[in-house]
Order: sequence, then structure tokens, then C-alpha cells
Amino acid sequence: MRRNRLGAYLFSFPSFFLTVALGIYPIAWALRYMFYDYQGYGEMRFVGLGNFARIMRDAEFWQSVVNTFIYAGGKLILTLPLSLILAVILNRKLRGRNAFRAIFFLPTIFSASVMSIVFYIVFNSYNGILNQYLMKLHLVSGPVDWLGASKAMLTIVIIAVWGAIGNYMLLFLAGLQGIPEEIYEAASLDGVNPAQRLWYITIPMLGPVLQMIVMLALTTSLKGYESIMVLTEGGPFGKTEVMYLYLYKLFFPLTTTGTAVQNIGYGSAVGFTTAVIVGLITWAYFWMSKKLSSIY
Amino acid sequence: MALKKIAARSPMWLLLILISIFMLFPIIVAILGSFKTNLELTTGATVFPEQWQLSNYVTAWTQANFSSYTFNSVFVAVFATIGTLLVSSMAAYAVDRASFRGKKLLIFLQSFTLFISIGAVVLRPQFDLMVTLGLHRSLWAVIIILISAHATAFFMVIGFFRSIPKDLDEAALIDGCNFYSIFWRIILPLLRPALGVVALFTFRGAWNEYILPLVFSLSRPDLQTLPVGLANLRFGAGAAVENQLMLAGACISILPLLLVYVFANRSFMQVTAGSVKG
Repeated sequence: MRRNRLGAYLFSFPSFFLTVALGIYPIAWALRYMFYDYQGYGEMRFVGLGNFARIMRDAEFWQSVVNTFIYAGGKLILTLPLSLILAVILNRKLRGRNAFRAIFFLPTIFSASVMSIVFYIVFNSYNGILNQYLMKLHLVSGPVDWLGASKAMLTIVIIAVWGAIGNYMLLFLAGLQGIPEEIYEAASLDGVNPAQRLWYITIPMLGPVLQMIVMLALTTSLKGYESIMVLTEGGPFGKTEVMYLYLYKLFFPLTTTGTAVQNIGYGSAVGFTTAVIVGLITWAYFWMSKKLSSIY
Repeated sequence: MALKKIAARSPMWLLLILISIFMLFPIIVAILGSFKTNLELTTGATVFPEQWQLSNYVTAWTQANFSSYTFNSVFVAVFATIGTLLVSSMAAYAVDRASFRGKKLLIFLQSFTLFISIGAVVLRPQFDLMVTLGLHRSLWAVIIILISAHATAFFMVIGFFRSIPKDLDEAALIDGCNFYSIFWRIILPLLRPALGVVALFTFRGAWNEYILPLVFSLSRPDLQTLPVGLANLRFGAGAAVENQLMLAGACISILPLLLVYVFANRSFMQVTAGSVKG
């Protein structure tokens, strides 16, 4: 159908146009503005690498980088093993298998921000629903400060895990389809127990799929900030401030906390830096998992 | 013997049940709580409402602007879904079934936007562009930006195109169809179930979107969608935060998805499972 070059151009034009105008141009825009000092109005001043020098000194930004690692690390450590175990269980013939799958996957269909509102009411320190139940059952003597400085990050991670397990369970389930049944039959003849089966057969056999799932989980959790924005806005005292939330605050106002001042030039530089950090971590993971798989 | 088997399997069942409770807890709390009074919600520690307060929904709908939020959400999600389906299936058709200069570039651009994220930075130039077009005071800005982010849909549709044999196009060509009529008459009807899955995925994304409509409604509160309007309630309209209205509002947002999910949860799951295979 080579004759229909015109048709092909017509059909791909909307996609081209929208992607360039609203996907690529904004990146080019940021690459330009990151060399300027510009508040969004008034004078625009070229500062060269000045913004990057400022990033180096910006303690709040580096705190948000550390917080992002805590958040992403906590989310991954809880989500991946749990969802793998659930996938292995629900891959077998089991009564109610489809119902369990549907229940575990359910949280992933809802809006993170809407569910954060529900969690806000659940975890509220003074009159939250969880504290009411815990106190009624005499499990705690006084209200637990779930969104306070010491526990806010833990609460955020729990909520993130809640929303993520179903997704990764399903990805693992899809990966498990690729492992031939005969291997397990042979193993059971050799008297292999379930833990050994998981560690010595399932995980190595998942191989590249596992690698891809971990990478997906890693990049997604480094980028997540929606539910944090709704629940804590990065507070209290910046304890739950993550990179992409800090970035948002440099461009748009938030309702309560107003420590960051909007600055387009500086914000663009921070955006570039966060993208590089995420890219580096992804690359490092890729490199490491390649090394590890060549050892095997 | 049977008893021994049950005993050996009980940790597994315990895990399944505990995780089920964990997963369902907030959803059940939201649904049951949306029928309670604010006082019962904040001090009651009850499971079921003492009296089912249907009035929470009436108040949310009429006085807390949820009718307007819902209208805006439906408007954005419907048009973003239609637009995404059109743009991505047309581009996927051109890429999969024709050869033209720039084909590789288009595939590269799509995967590039999929992997590179500079976060909220892009919202600012996007906003400025919409100001230039005079669209920044309308929900069309949100819709157009949502459509522009169609890389995932594009790759999903391409995956489905591969399942339609090319002989079919050639047969249709001999029968007098051209490039355009093959798309409308042959490909699209065959793709209908697959496009349904993409539509579900896109609709969910647009319906749940928070940050984009938030930014575009900063100076226009009447453009707020459900997630935006709901999130703003947490600071209270007057003196008191009205938890029961927040939960009723949350239910207005999650119940449509929940209903579709009950009947079509396999289609929802197909999207996720497909992304690892393809």
C-alpha cells in the first residue's frame, strides 16, 4: 500500500502534532529556561549554570531526594514480595481464585487522590476511623498520630502499597504463565518444599519478566506524588516531601504549606535534575541486574 | 487426611483473607461512612450507620457542587477517551500498515514521552500554549492535553493491529477498498473489542486525573472535576470539615468505576497483563 503515503501522513499527523506540541516542546522549553532566573513575570535574566549551583546548596531539595528513596524503597520492599507470593498462590487451582484476584486488583482502578481523601478520614489523628476502632478494641490507649512527623511516611507507604499490590500481582501472574508446569511436577517428585520452589524455580524462571516488573515498580514509585500531595502536602516539617512534589511547588501554589516560592527558571533546573536522578537509578538497576544474571 | 491438608494450607488462607480485608477496608469504610452523620463518623466507631443518611448524597449533589464536578468529570473523560481512541488508532494504522517517512520518528517520539518525565514542569508551557490558543479557561485544554499523552494507548493498539492479518487488507484492496475505507470498514469493526479495552483504560485515567484539572481550575473553580473538588473539601468550606460529605463525594467518584468493574473486571486486568507480554 505504498501508494497511500498521503493517507499515512494524514492519519499520523494528529499524533505527531499533539506529541510534539504538548510532549516534546515543553521539554525543550524547560531545557531553555533552566539557564534563566525567571519568576514567571517581570524580568528574565540569564544565569548560566547558576540554578544548578543553587540546587547543590538546596537542602530542602536533597531532603526530598532522600525522602523519595525512603518512600520508593519502602513501597518496593513491601509490594514486590507480597504481590509475588499472592500471584504464586492465585496461579494454582484454588477455590475462589478469581474472586481473590478481583479483590486484590480492585484498589488499582480508583483515583489516587480520591482514595487519599478516604485515607485522610481513616488515618486522621484526632478523630480518624482507624483510631476509633483501635481504641474501641483497646489495642491502643490513646489516638495514634498516623499523619504526624514520626509516622506520616509509614502511613504514606502503606497507602501506596495498598494501591500497588494488585497491579504487580497481575504482572507476576502474567509472567508465571511462561513457566512450564512440568518443572514443578519434576520438583515435587524430588520432594521440594514450597519455599524452595519459590526461591530456586519460580524466581529464576521469571528472569527477564521479573527484571522488567522491578524496573517498572522502581520508576513508578520514584515518580509518585499525587496521594502525598492530597494527604500531607509534604508535611509535617517536610517529612513526606518527595522530589516530584517539591518540583510541583516550584511551579504552582499549594493550599497550606508555602515554603517554596514559585520560580520557573529554578524549577526547570530542578525538573531536569530529578529526571536525571530517576534515569541514573534506572540505569544503575539495569546494569546491576545484568551483572547479576550473568553470574547465574 | 483431609484435616491435615487443611491445616497445612491454613497459613495461605489466612494470608489471602488478611490481605482481602486490607484491600476492602477503605472502600467499605467509604461506602458505609457516606451514609453516616459527621458526628457518628468522628466519634461513633460504628461499622454500620445507625441511620442511613441518604441526605448526605442530596447535600453533596445540590449544595456542595458535586453535580457540577460530576458533569465536568464526565465531559473530560468522555471526550478525552474518544479523542485518544481516534488519534491513537489512526496513528497505529498508519504505522502498522503503511510505509512513510517519519514512521520511525513517530515510534521514537511515543516511546520517548513514555519514559522521560520532568514532572509538573511541562504543565507550565502547556498552560502557556493554551493561553495562546485562548483555551486556558475551558476544560478543552485539559481534554487536549490528555489526548496528547496517548503513547500507552498507541502501543496497545499497535499490539492489537498485529493480530489482524495483512492478507485481509490486500483482499479488501482487490475488492475496491482504499486506504481509508479499509480502516473504517475492515480494521475498526474487527478491533472493536480491543478498542473497548483501550477505551476502558483511557476513561479510567481521565476520570481519575487530578493534577491536570487542578492546575487548569486554579482561577476557575467552576471547572473543577470530582477529584479536584473533593480534595479541596478537606480544608472545610466553613468552620468544620464535613467528613460525611467528603465520603459521599468520594463514593460518587468511585461507584461508577466499581459498577463497571463488577461486570468487566477481566477487561480491566487484561490491560495490565497485556503490558508485560507485549
